[in-house]
Amino acid sequence: MSTGSLIAMFLVVGLLWGGLTVLIVIALDREKKKSSD
Amino acid sequence: MDRQRHDRRRAFGNSSETVGRQGPPQRPGVPLGRKMVNRELLEQFTSRWALLISMVGIAVGTGNIWRFPRIAAKYEGGAFLIPWLVFLFLWSIPIIMMEYSMGKGTRKGTIGAFGRLIGPRYAWMGAFVGLVSTAIMFYYSVVNGWCLRYLVLALSGSLQGLTADGARDMWNELIHGYQPVFFHFLSMAAGTLIVYRGVIGGIEKANRIFIPSLLVLLLVLLGRAVTLPGASGGVQAFFTIRWEMLLDYRIWLDALTQNAWSTGAGWGLILTYAVYMRPGEDTVLNSAITAFGNHSVSLIAGIMIFATVYALLPLQAREVLSEPGPLNTGLAFIWIPQLFSKLPGASLFSILFFLALFFASMSSLISMIELAVRLLNDAGIRRRRAIPVVGALGFGMGIPSALSPSFFLNQDWVWGVGLIVSGALMSFAVLRFGVCRFRESYINAAGNDLAVGRWYDVLVRTCIPVEVAALIAWWFWVAAQADPEGWWNPLRVESVGTCLFQWGAALVILLALNRWIARKTLGE
Repeated sequence: MSTGSLIAMFLVVGLLWGGLTVLIVIALDREKKKSSD
Repeated sequence: MDRQRHDRRRAFGNSSETVGRQGPPQRPGVPLGRKMVNRELLEQFTSRWALLISMVGIAVGTGNIWRFPRIAAKYEGGAFLIPWLVFLFLWSIPIIMMEYSMGKGTRKGTIGAFGRLIGPRYAWMGAFVGLVSTAIMFYYSVVNGWCLRYLVLALSGSLQGLTADGARDMWNELIHGYQPVFFHFLSMAAGTLIVYRGVIGGIEKANRIFIPSLLVLLLVLLGRAVTLPGASGGVQAFFTIRWEMLLDYRIWLDALTQNAWSTGAGWGLILTYAVYMRPGEDTVLNSAITAFGNHSVSLIAGIMIFATVYALLPLQAREVLSEPGPLNTGLAFIWIPQLFSKLPGASLFSILFFLALFFASMSSLISMIELAVRLLNDAGIRRRRAIPVVGALGFGMGIPSALSPSFFLNQDWVWGVGLIVSGALMSFAVLRFGVCRFRESYINAAGNDLAVGRWYDVLVRTCIPVEVAALIAWWFWVAAQADPEGWWNPLRVESVGTCLFQWGAALVILLALNRWIARKTLGE
């Protein structure tokens, strides 16, 4: 694979799957706080 | 079992007598006047994760698996991903937020939500949004039936050793016979049964099975696809960005269309499920997770399809991927069965693919049935009575699409573009109510994990109206170019005239019945 394609793959996959993971982690954290309250 | 019953009772007990008027619930637990209260208490999703899985179930459909790779291929892969991601933020997430907030804030289906937000004289707008999604349900059940038929064929081993001609013959035999009616019936019956079992026992439970299974199936298929010899060519093509493509305005409009059709933004379905959110549940973070979840599934499907096609048919890959095929389903029903038949363990991978496709379409179909049921329930028809009515109506109204490919295409065209109008009406409602006021009282309501800032006001006031105008103008222009002489003719399958005629007829009827619709739904 060319370097350009690899960078694009890293960015798109990182943004979507990485972003989704971060959002889920935040939601998990907030749920934990709500349940402890 | 007892515990489930107890939980369900508790959910009923907490439910939405807490409805607000011209604003979200001010004090949860305060019932309004008798007329304002839903005739039946609402169930609620048992947890945030159950809600999210169901919302992702709405968004993820067959379009993620067969439309997204095709449109990406049209622009030679990677370049399409850029505008597709841009409109995730400029269209999908803002409108999904509207839907979550309107459903949670008003605790009514589309008609009641519009009526509560901007007054009963706009109830017809909510009715139009509901009508568009219900009209889509009629033929979407037929699509679900095709997926089911191919799943049965895969299970029986009939897809093994298929040639190109064999695959086309199989497809033509299916769509020109009576089988689609039978499978449409099974599909509608299964969807109705799921909805009949309730929000917790039916919709939530089914999505708890469908969505995780869909993800596992897609990941297994992805794993197989990327390990095929030659698959790297497909992955490279998928992520190769030809920057000059971004200068073509069509890539931007196609990316916006893909967002409008794939995420469920503006359909009224997310609004409907949001009616069953627990009080104090977040809307902002959940909206983002729903949209990101949908796009992540599209990405898995895109890589899987590109890798498979490039590995097995490297010379024809571009043509295979971008050819719409009959009824725009060529990739799923013509090429995939042939491609998987070349793999070792062919029948297993065909079964997994069509099972994934069936789960994706079924999870969307049940949300469409629920939307129609919610509207009838809001109008005072008991849920247990409304569900069979919707099921029977869905089956009856879907028969023409099951029997006639032209009728199917016409409905797909008219109501597919109608979804953009639905998105526009939803944005209009928020603008009419006051974007800033909506953001402060509906979106940033108590219990939110994240707050939305003033950027949202700018987006709704400027970007979304421009996007709507551009999309409708473009689709009509494309239709007029394709048929310069008959573009105005309402009897042509994919003409501007047929869209305007069918929307116009629907709008005239809904406007004429507006007072009655508003009175039935809002009790005023």
